[in-house]
Amino acid sequence: VIIDRSHWRWMIATLALTAIASISYAVYAARWPDGPGGGTIPGMIYGLLGSGLMLFAGLLSARKRVPTWRLGRAQTWLKGHIWLGILSVPLILFHSSFRWGGRLEQVLWWVFALIVLSGLFGLALQQFLPRLMLKLVSMETIYEQIPHVCLAIRGSADEVVAVVCGPLGVEEPSADAEEKGKKKTKASQPMEGSGPLKDFYVRQVRPFLDSNYSVTAPLASATHASAMFEQVRIMLPQPLHQPLDQLAVFCEERRQLALQSRLHGWLHGWLMIHIPLSCVLGVLGTAHAVLALWY
Amino acid sequence: MAAYGDFAEIPAKQWERQFEFTDRAVVRRRFRAGEIICREGDYGSTAFYVVRGKVDIFLSSPIAHAKSRKSDAQSRGIFGLIRRFATGLVSANQDQREEEQRRHWIPIDAPIDLAYDNPVGQLGPGDLFGEMTCMSFYPRSATVRAAEDCELLEMLRNVLEVVKKAKSFKAKIEANYRQRALATHLRSVREFAELPDEFIDYLRPRVELLTYEPGAAICNQGDAADSLYLVRIGFVQVSQRHPGGDLVLAYLSRGQYFGEMGLIAGGVRTATCRALDHVEVVRINKEDFDVMVQRFPGVRAKLQVEAERRAAATRLQTETAAQIPLDRFLEQGLMNAQNVLLIDLEKCTRCDECVHACGAAHGGITRLLRDGLRYDKFLVTTSCRQCTDPLCMIGCPVGSIRRRESLEVIIEDWCIGCEKCAKQCPYGNITIHNFDVAELSRVYEGQKVIELADTAQDGSKRAVVKKATTCDLCSGLAEPSCVYACPHDAAIRVHPQEFFSGQLP
Repeated sequence: VIIDRSHWRWMIATLALTAIASISYAVYAARWPDGPGGGTIPGMIYGLLGSGLMLFAGLLSARKRVPTWRLGRAQTWLKGHIWLGILSVPLILFHSSFRWGGRLEQVLWWVFALIVLSGLFGLALQQFLPRLMLKLVSMETIYEQIPHVCLAIRGSADEVVAVVCGPLGVEEPSADAEEKGKKKTKASQPMEGSGPLKDFYVRQVRPFLDSNYSVTAPLASATHASAMFEQVRIMLPQPLHQPLDQLAVFCEERRQLALQSRLHGWLHGWLMIHIPLSCVLGVLGTAHAVLALWY
Repeated sequence: MAAYGDFAEIPAKQWERQFEFTDRAVVRRRFRAGEIICREGDYGSTAFYVVRGKVDIFLSSPIAHAKSRKSDAQSRGIFGLIRRFATGLVSANQDQREEEQRRHWIPIDAPIDLAYDNPVGQLGPGDLFGEMTCMSFYPRSATVRAAEDCELLEMLRNVLEVVKKAKSFKAKIEANYRQRALATHLRSVREFAELPDEFIDYLRPRVELLTYEPGAAICNQGDAADSLYLVRIGFVQVSQRHPGGDLVLAYLSRGQYFGEMGLIAGGVRTATCRALDHVEVVRINKEDFDVMVQRFPGVRAKLQVEAERRAAATRLQTETAAQIPLDRFLEQGLMNAQNVLLIDLEKCTRCDECVHACGAAHGGITRLLRDGLRYDKFLVTTSCRQCTDPLCMIGCPVGSIRRRESLEVIIEDWCIGCEKCAKQCPYGNITIHNFDVAELSRVYEGQKVIELADTAQDGSKRAVVKKATTCDLCSGLAEPSCVYACPHDAAIRVHPQEFFSGQLP
């Protein structure tokens, strides 16, 4: 989510509540007879408030599972998730009186810190990655469809080359390809001088157009690719320049899809840390509360 | 073929030409009572001519439309806030939609129309059905079953063209139509519903049945208005000339009419009407039209109202078209769109919450895909745009897709789920929803539906019924689910011309 003017109220409210909590903590720390601690009544109140906010932040995930329930707009929930989640940090710090505690508490600290940091990292990425994707990936498609699109691109490329170079002689995982709607390649008689094009296609371009290509493939770099295409162009007669240009376009599409995959990975990868650790925090936090109250 | 009296006049040489490439261009088929001859929604390329026996023709799809609503079982939430949505089939009686047109007759690809309340009819010797499927490859509009042991000729297009050119056969088909179908056809039009039998008898020999090939102009803008046309078969495009090109005003199918505006105003044609495919129309000339409106002031008043409504709709579209904007705006169909779902790609994290929400609100079947064309920083998603040029309406074999006054597309209850509209939509914005229903075992007795066979309570076999669906903007909810569920404030529903007005010249 982009942090814009619509977040100002939340930001101001968070800052104000942090200030109030800080002042109250300063007063409590200075005046409490045995000094501040998690077991004191004010300390427990900070703990309860902090835990409550974390719990609310965690409910965002549950809220997303029932999108049709009219429980408030999803963007309000996300704003609450971000700002109240941030507010929980000082409250938990005040709850612990800035102490590490025992082993369980130390683990809790690390987990909590990783959750907050991964969340802030994700938030930071969301400020510019969507914009970057819009700018750099003009051929963006639905992420899950990328393997299918790659297959389709490769099918089209096969057809372009087979028309001028004759049968490609490449093995197809045909059943799979047929299922995915791949058309049968129509081959014709090879044109004179088309050998280098076929060779270049089968050795370099075709493997690159696969849904799983090597990241070190020379065609993965636009600069290298341009140089390679120029080299091949010199070897080809004029009528074969057009199919070569078409292949260059297919490679550009494939590079864009690869970039989309990478950006998508960054945009969502942090959730792989954020969400599982939030579950761990929930379990450990409950254990901490039970143990603290028991003993 | 010469042995069949109806085709006796066709020279043997002509038949030989038809059978030059295939001797199965026409086949004689015999069906036992109860056997299905063709099913609604199936694609085909043949027409049938009944030689002997009778056939029942009916719609087996439930006469109902898809509706998303909160499930009764889940409606008791905290203060009514927690609601689970389900999509089911409801009839017009259960859910009267805004501007719902209660049609009494459902147009099908046969010489007869089916009654809305009891969509079953019967054809007999000499009747021809499946002409639209044969000539224009539209899906079958109804299911046909042998009512008794019968014999039919199933023919390909080349044969159908030959037999329809034969004078005696053509005369017979026309006579059949005049005698059996003209009355229901005229009365299926709301404006003509009150015409008495006596006047229809007067019209019967006087109306002309005309045929047009695809692309042929039926009447031209600016010509003198000399007749009213009622569409019998095929689709007619109504368009107006403008400096920037032709503006499509409407697509008309069986049961709809045109030409009344010029006749009532006593002037000239205000639009050009062109056959989109093989079209057959019933022509009522000006003299008979004048007699009708003089004798039946009620008909005149209704036609007047309809003419005014059409004129207002035309004005609205013309005004919109006058603001010819950016090329890309036009290319992407945004000029046509009334309401689109835009996704701000600078805010969107591609989380697909909008798609999930749409699916959740519509029984698990999403009506939007987060894919489509881009305009500026926005993705114009694959969700119904309520186009002013609704190509989706061309080819519906039962005319069940139409527009409201607001230009919003609506699927009528008698949709047979043939998927034609979904294939026609240039933006892929119509989805087909499968519904599990009790096995379709409608029973017809004496041409009357006596049972709608809801026998699923005892666990009997279930059947799947298809219905076309389009974005309903989550009607009944304050906000569309896709917009409500977007956590990033990236999904917005807008009128594109207003929204992008700052960017347009």
